[in-house]
Amino acid sequence: MSWSSRLAALLPGAVAHDTGGTEPDPRFTFANERTFLAWSRTALALVVAGHAIVQLLPPFPGVPAGRHLLGVPLIVLGAVLAVVAYAEWARNQHALRRGEPMPKSNVPWILAATITGMAIVSAIILLISAVR
Amino acid sequence: MTAPRDPSPGDGAQRGPGQDSAGEDPEHIPGLAQERTSLAWTRTAIAFAALGGVVLKENVVTGLIILALSPVIWQLGRVTRGSLPRADGRPPVMAVVGATRLFLIAVTIAGVALLCLIVAIFGKSVPGALQ
Repeated sequence: MSWSSRLAALLPGAVAHDTGGTEPDPRFTFANERTFLAWSRTALALVVAGHAIVQLLPPFPGVPAGRHLLGVPLIVLGAVLAVVAYAEWARNQHALRRGEPMPKSNVPWILAATITGMAIVSAIILLISAVR
Repeated sequence: MTAPRDPSPGDGAQRGPGQDSAGEDPEHIPGLAQERTSLAWTRTAIAFAALGGVVLKENVVTGLIILALSPVIWQLGRVTRGSLPRADGRPPVMAVVGATRLFLIAVTIAGVALLCLIVAIFGKSVPGALQ
């Protein structure tokens, strides 16, 4: 399956008119929706954090680009996470309809790795600014 | 983990007051799933409002746009409640509207993040506001 057809399958029209399988129990549909909303709030929290770092924190002495180095990746990750959360929701809904095993998700791993990386970069920037 | 299928009424699921006749009403939603989902939509709307408040401090126009999205998000969460699988065989309205509004939320958050990115890079900062 090509990337374009995969993307086309994620559009709301294609998801809504997926007639394969049977309509799942409403509780599972709602649970899938809540999971999507939880990821959306995580994405919004990342955007808020990134924005606050860039706009509200005082500059780091000796690291003039430090705030942007920390804030911009968080905002970009927030944008990506929102789109990926929708794709995950569509995949899960597809599996629910067909009674298939829930697809494996790499999003929690990516989020954890990014937060760890950002924490390490923060520590380095703070150490450099403390030394100077 | 395998996707769960329609559980029977006696599967131990939680039920709200007056929700003891699953299966008789095609619009019936067993348990408190609808309430929890409604609350999740409310929390998402509040998260939008919080982001709008933060951005408002630096950029009034962008902040107001994001703040104005908050009630829209809340309203989206109220759409199609009760439009569950229909007995006459037609496709459920929930599936059609559900996919569209979730897609809208995802696109909105990505757009808001882009706006915040522009404000973060090109906007005037207030350094030390969190000191």
